[in-house]
Amino acid sequence: MELEKLAQLKSGDPVLFAELVRDHHRALIALTVPIVGISEAEEVVQNAWLKAYQAISSFAGKSAIRTWLGSIAINEAKMQLRQRKRESLFSDHGDENQYTEDSLAQRFTERGHWQHPPAHWHTDSPESLLTGEQLAECLEKLLTAMPDNQRCILEMRDASGLPFDEICSELTVSSANARVLLHRARTQLFKLVDHYEETGEC
Amino acid sequence: MLSCRDFVNNADQLLDRDLRVSTRIAVRIHLLLCRHCRRYVKQLARLIKAIPFMHNKATEEEVRKVMDCIHSHENT
Repeated sequence: MELEKLAQLKSGDPVLFAELVRDHHRALIALTVPIVGISEAEEVVQNAWLKAYQAISSFAGKSAIRTWLGSIAINEAKMQLRQRKRESLFSDHGDENQYTEDSLAQRFTERGHWQHPPAHWHTDSPESLLTGEQLAECLEKLLTAMPDNQRCILEMRDASGLPFDEICSELTVSSANARVLLHRARTQLFKLVDHYEETGEC
Repeated sequence: MLSCRDFVNNADQLLDRDLRVSTRIAVRIHLLLCRHCRRYVKQLARLIKAIPFMHNKATEEEVRKVMDCIHSHENT
């Protein structure tokens, strides 16, 4: 975000704040659903926006604004759980899918060399790699079908940019397990994009 | 000697600079020798940069609902 725009935002400009809501609201919902559940995520994120609006003047700009908003939303989610005396829905146990084969496993020979190497991807810009019209629909399906714990780590680490050790402590998950979950989530996305870039279909 | 499968399993941590020195050296050597894995890690990095943009923008109604709530708190 340009400095001038950031300064205007920090001074409480409601139009710019509404723009922020437009850009990040869905990501914050996706971030909190695996923790508090779909029925409470909207309320949690609404409270997070309120806190963010009240605190925007203190945003130092050291992290990306998404990361800052993500931390606020995670705190709100935890507060909601405490108030309702509930446990986080996140669990790194009891999900058999977590231990299923890696999405790219079929791409290697028995000896572990590439049998079907990655295609050359034509799309260069981060803004458009995952937003092609046809791809967006398949991506939505993939994210919906993804085990909750994988999705949760993906949303926290990659979509919101929260630090890895902070994620492990918030979710009380070991770093080794979190790594496996993140790897599983990323390779599913990689396989989807790779196929789309190679064939134009997904 | 690291296989391509091993490389792929370590690529996330390579990008996060979270590998032990011995593994990092093995991964770097593999990378020098294998163009497929060079492509894999380059495109994985590109994918990770694209993930923050994967969510749709909120609808006008969703934005209005959030802003209305903020304004009603401001007025109380």
